[in-house]
Amino acid sequence: MKSEEIIIYRQKKRLRNIFIFLILLIMVIWSVDVTIVEDTDWERMGSLSDVLSSAGRFIGIDFSLFPDLIVPSIETFMISILGTFVGVIICIPATWFGAKNITPFKPLTYPLGRLLMTLSRSIHEIVWALFFVAVFGLGALSGICAIAVRSVGFIAKMSSEAIEDIDVGPIEAIRSAGGNGFQILIYAIIPQVIPQILGVIIFEWEINIRRSAILGLVGAGGLGLVFFRQMNTFNFHGVTSVIISILGIIVIGEFVSHKMRKRVI
Amino acid sequence: MSVLQVNDLHASYSSSGSEILKGISFDVAENDFVAIIGPSGAGKSTLIRCINRLVEPSSGSIIFKGQNITNMSKSELRRVRRDIGMIFQEFNLINRMSVMDNLLSGRLGYIGNIRTLFKAYPRKDIDRAIELLERVGLSDHIDKRADELSGGQRQRVGIARALMQEPELLLLDEPTSSLDPKISREIMTLVKEMAFELRVPCLCNIHDVQLATEFCNKIVGIQEGTKMFEGDPNNLSEEKLNEIYAMEVL
Amino acid sequence: MAEKQKKDWSRIKYPDSYISLGIWISILLFLTYSIEYLEIPLDRLVGMLQRMGYTLANRYYPPDLEYIADLDYMEYVLETIQMAYLGSLFGLIITLPLGWLGAFNLTPSRRFVYPVARLVTMGFRAVHEMIWAIIFVSILGFGMLPGVLALTFFCAGFASKLLAEEIESVDMGPVEAMRATGANLFQVMIFGVLPQVRVALTGIAIYTWDVAFRAATVVGFFGAGGMGWYLKRNVLQIETERVSAILVSIIILVLISEFFSAIARERVMKMK
Repeated sequence: MKSEEIIIYRQKKRLRNIFIFLILLIMVIWSVDVTIVEDTDWERMGSLSDVLSSAGRFIGIDFSLFPDLIVPSIETFMISILGTFVGVIICIPATWFGAKNITPFKPLTYPLGRLLMTLSRSIHEIVWALFFVAVFGLGALSGICAIAVRSVGFIAKMSSEAIEDIDVGPIEAIRSAGGNGFQILIYAIIPQVIPQILGVIIFEWEINIRRSAILGLVGAGGLGLVFFRQMNTFNFHGVTSVIISILGIIVIGEFVSHKMRKRVI
Repeated sequence: MSVLQVNDLHASYSSSGSEILKGISFDVAENDFVAIIGPSGAGKSTLIRCINRLVEPSSGSIIFKGQNITNMSKSELRRVRRDIGMIFQEFNLINRMSVMDNLLSGRLGYIGNIRTLFKAYPRKDIDRAIELLERVGLSDHIDKRADELSGGQRQRVGIARALMQEPELLLLDEPTSSLDPKISREIMTLVKEMAFELRVPCLCNIHDVQLATEFCNKIVGIQEGTKMFEGDPNNLSEEKLNEIYAMEVL
Repeated sequence: MAEKQKKDWSRIKYPDSYISLGIWISILLFLTYSIEYLEIPLDRLVGMLQRMGYTLANRYYPPDLEYIADLDYMEYVLETIQMAYLGSLFGLIITLPLGWLGAFNLTPSRRFVYPVARLVTMGFRAVHEMIWAIIFVSILGFGMLPGVLALTFFCAGFASKLLAEEIESVDMGPVEAMRATGANLFQVMIFGVLPQVRVALTGIAIYTWDVAFRAATVVGFFGAGGMGWYLKRNVLQIETERVSAILVSIIILVLISEFFSAIARERVMKMK
């Protein structure tokens, strides 16, 4: 009798799962219909072969463009480094506030720290770049600021979590020898979290290379501007060249970060 | 005159409010090596930590060198802590730093923030560190990272660090609980010798009654936050010991 | 009697300290050179910061909230949300096989399939989602289709990497047990691997949604559908108060999404 009950139960469960799955599937199909199918201008797109030939325009490299890509590539690389660097500096107060064990005034500063981190992460780097271009004008400075502010979210979050996880033993040792708060920070807290924090910084820097490359799309320096120009002049092979350059500096970035990680950890 | 006087000390866990120390009183004289013994949870560790106020007592007084330290402000307390060295069960060294830097950290109470940032200690501190390292037998390890040392070696660094403070009282919180029996004995011998040479009284929280009776000249027995015994180790009878531990002693 | 040698110790070590110093100096020089190269006007920086405060206070405040409180805009917001979840959904669908193929321990072919899968994943990841969006817009025209495609490839990129790493850290015991019973590859994956990565996979899904939603709010800037289009229009027309209203709406939406994600993540934590 028991096994019959189990069989019926499982059949019901299976039916229920299939039902839920069908509902979700219908929802997805409805969404696709409402968004893509209705919204897309199918006529303008043409047939599949039209689309393929459109895509095919990108196949091919404009080699003559490469010499002109060296300077923007270096710029992009530098923006990522300076941006990450400035970001780390801004992180210092954010991390301090956002770590439960060292925040100065928990009811106020801890939520504030967390809010800053969330704000930084929630706003896309393009939006930050738009903001800084409006304030500082076109150029690398806006890009650097955008990168810096965008990085704070991740770096401060990881760093404050690392600080919250430290071993209190060394803190007790420095306190009992008569050390003040600053000395506790330098001797007991920082040495424990440095490897982790450096790892996080290197990780975020790699991501920032990607970001720096496109900020030029809104005028913040680097390869993005070249990409924009190539698209506008319909030089699709040039666009491919720019993408290849971007991939190139990302690969260099991965190589450098790999080396740095070895030394640090 | 006694270096340390503890009078009717009470302390409790802040969260649950239950009392751990229920009125402990004893003193430590200039040449004493006092051992605090008792079962786990008796409050030994809390008691040691109250002396330098790593744990805040709820009532009672602690008189160190004639001054009542229970009411002191933070800055006064920091100055007093310079004169009280502490050795920990888990060594509490700065693992990524060298042995030398760990030793020098004992002098942090005497240097300002700028010097701290650049690790620029006065010459005499460095000389003293070299001497102490030689005395504990770790001169060859001076630049090694603290986490490259064995347990016994780390505790020796801990001892040297505490003595760098030129303390007038040494607190030891189960200094041998993380070490094997042979090394434990070496460590206790080392502490006792150096404390004698430098004329520093010691207050030691210890688990192993055997070691306690062997190295200390005075025993304070605690059970559930109350003092059950204070006096010479020779007077510690087996019944008294059973009473303190409420169980057979091995 | 042995002579007592005076021992000495110095913080400066040869050659390590000099090498360290050299590295620090080179870094400093590089940073200074970069600032020069990028023509960053350090001297005008303070003035610029003051101007930033002034601009924020006068031109971007108060945000023109009436502008965004209309039905057309709400439609675009709905579009953005739909793009985001379709993009993450399709991205995750691609991730399931792609992450598996890119996992060193369980890929069907370590010499061919694994490197190709890893390369494809890296390729998807390396290209920024905005570049994907621009490319798809140029091929397919404006609208949400390029947006969804861009988000799909972008999500597939980083989610596959995360999934591959998860699969690689799986306990091979149950997998071997399944193999020993004669199960085929598919069954091994479902019964040996899936139970172990299920929780992490949910975490990856939530994270994918977060990132996709953030990107979806902006792809419209390049013509790929969603509220980003409003942003572009008003930036070009320098309607700063409307821009700040749109930014405010983006921030609020993302915060709401983060709030729900955090709840979802806590429930997943409890499942562990």
